[in-house]
Amino acid sequence: MDEWKTSRSGMIAITVLRVVVGWHVLYEGLAKLTSPSWSAAGYLRVSRGPFSGLFHWIAGNPQLLDQANQITMYGLTIVGVLLILGLFTRLAAAGGIAFILLFYLCNPPFVGYFYSIPSEGSYLIVNKNLVEISALVVILVTRSGLFAGLDRILHLLVFRRTRLAPA
Amino acid sequence: MAGEDGTGAPKTQAAPDEPRKLGRREVLKGLSTVPALGLFGYAWEKQRRYQQAKVDEIAAAAKAPEGLREINIALLGAGAQGQVLTDAMLRIHGLRFRAVCDIWTEYNQKRVVNSLKRFKHEPNAYEDYREMLDKEKELDAVIIATPDFWHSQHTVDCLKAGKHVYCEKEMSNTLEGARAMVAAQRETGKLLQIGHQRRSNPRYLHCYDKIIQEAKMLGRIVTVYGQWNRGVTPDLGAPDRYVISDARLAHYGFKNMHQFRNWRWYKGKGGGPIVDLGSHQIDIYGWFLGANPSHVMASGGNLYYDPKTHEWYDTVMAVYDFDTPLGPAKAYYQTQTTNGSQGYFENFMGDQGTLLISESEVNYAGQLYRDPNAPSWDEWVQKGYVSAPKEQETRAKSDSGAIADVRESVAPDQHTVPVTLRDPYHQPHLQNFFDAVRGQARLNCPAEVAYETAVAVLKVNEAIEAKSRLSFNPQDFKA
Ligand SMILES: NC(=O)c1ccc[n+]([C@@H]2O[C@H](COP(=O)([O-])OP(=O)(O)OC[C@H]3O[C@@H](n4cnc5c(N)ncnc54)[C@H](O)[C@@H]3O)[C@@H](O)[C@H]2O)c1
Repeated sequence: MDEWKTSRSGMIAITVLRVVVGWHVLYEGLAKLTSPSWSAAGYLRVSRGPFSGLFHWIAGNPQLLDQANQITMYGLTIVGVLLILGLFTRLAAAGGIAFILLFYLCNPPFVGYFYSIPSEGSYLIVNKNLVEISALVVILVTRSGLFAGLDRILHLLVFRRTRLAPA
Repeated sequence: MAGEDGTGAPKTQAAPDEPRKLGRREVLKGLSTVPALGLFGYAWEKQRRYQQAKVDEIAAAAKAPEGLREINIALLGAGAQGQVLTDAMLRIHGLRFRAVCDIWTEYNQKRVVNSLKRFKHEPNAYEDYREMLDKEKELDAVIIATPDFWHSQHTVDCLKAGKHVYCEKEMSNTLEGARAMVAAQRETGKLLQIGHQRRSNPRYLHCYDKIIQEAKMLGRIVTVYGQWNRGVTPDLGAPDRYVISDARLAHYGFKNMHQFRNWRWYKGKGGGPIVDLGSHQIDIYGWFLGANPSHVMASGGNLYYDPKTHEWYDTVMAVYDFDTPLGPAKAYYQTQTTNGSQGYFENFMGDQGTLLISESEVNYAGQLYRDPNAPSWDEWVQKGYVSAPKEQETRAKSDSGAIADVRESVAPDQHTVPVTLRDPYHQPHLQNFFDAVRGQARLNCPAEVAYETAVAVLKVNEAIEAKSRLSFNPQDFKA
């Protein structure tokens, strides 16, 4: 991105996008954390598609499932907070992409598979997960946290220190 | 910060709008999205309050209305089904949870106790049911959802302690065990309801009372087909940190954690899929046909799972003979655990109509087909016993383009059962039990009735082993 610049209004729009995606991810995480009985097991068990073997394997292995549940609940919550705050934005965006990509691959709306989970819309290859992944890619490459977010402050602190250091 | 505000300052930084030095403006920009987190917190708090209000509402609704004595209950066995029953009971008026007993204290017991606390119940937790019976003097009833091989002992001891009992199916994994339960019920005069919950399901009651008995819309039922097909399911496990000590497992009759979690598959603990799943539906066969079977032949095998950990047959196909009040009938039942297509249902085929029903209303709304030669059902449609028919056009060409042959029967009219259950599956059956405790109803599935089903169902495993057709003596069904 060194070569091109996003306009100010573009950056504001991307910041809004970041906050909105962060909001959603944060709520997904918190809702799971505070539900007394949430587990990914049900979702993993109905997995279809080329990667279903992996997901079924996780669902069938209590140790792994327990870990997957913990990682998902805390991971989503943390990623959500970081995205809203614009802190470690690129790391958070990458983490978000990884999570949502897993959800996507668990039940991908590929040809012949899109009947797998009753869903509220109609999808062919592209579903809302993929849209959210794409949004996170935009957030990642435009370094939106540097524009409006704690990364900006962090960056300045570090930047200043590195400038002072050799002095 | 150069550039981004259109001042025309040089744009040389690496990232867009890369800040240069920490000033007030920079800090403000850095903090600019923090309020969004505050907004989230506000919305979250609102949402939490709304959910809590809902919970309180249910808890308040479940309080005994004026004049209704609260029934003090305990749950014995807080596993998957214990939780399902608990959730259903939380919707029933006038119940007070006094105790929860489960040997898996660190997991299942905790989970159910916590879920009850959310609804303002303060149950005491026990590992040993005898201690619970000793200490909880004011209990009126115990709800039992332990593994099948515990049912008999738990039920008998609870009845003898003067409690009414709702015990999950299968009544027991042995006939001796089931007989002891009937005997204890008779001896104590307490109520014993067995958890064949379809017996209280308004849809099934409507089918039996109105469609079969009163309107006789099926005519004479000659054949029955039913199934429970389930896809491959991995064995149940437990996270390491919740594993039960070997000593405690052994004390309660389990060889190891795998057996504790997957007891259904082990001989001497459960009865395999035919008992676990089949008993619900074979119970309906006897009920709707108005008879107990006279013979059974069956084939079963361990075709798919490791027989070391799956001692019972994973696949069973059974044929019963019935001598019904209207004449002989044959009833087929299959359960298999390697393919879930078409799920579970019961299909009763009479000479005038067919009834296809399932507890799973979303998959089977309850279809009725009138044979084209049967008397008209107009009267029953008008009375609201069945929905108006959906005309089945006889098409010269089907959707697939295949040509219909003149020898094919005309497609019958299709109706549906107009009754819906909007509550959890087990709620009406539990409600029936508590109504009976208050002296306001008769049990829909008392011990004697469930015993007849247990006799019919447990015989299937025997028939598979014997590799021959076994007969029942009418005396067999009397406990
Ligand atoms: N009516 C239905 O639709 C339906 C559905 C599922 C299960 N069931 C029945 O419910 C019963 C329980 O099934 P589940 O799926 O919940 O099994 P589960 O293994 O999930 O739960 C059994 C629970 O009982 C506890 N337990 C075992 N021995 C005990 C003892 N001696 N004292 C106290 N607690 C003990 C275990 O710790 C466990 O928590 C079975 O009889 C099953 O057939 C009925």
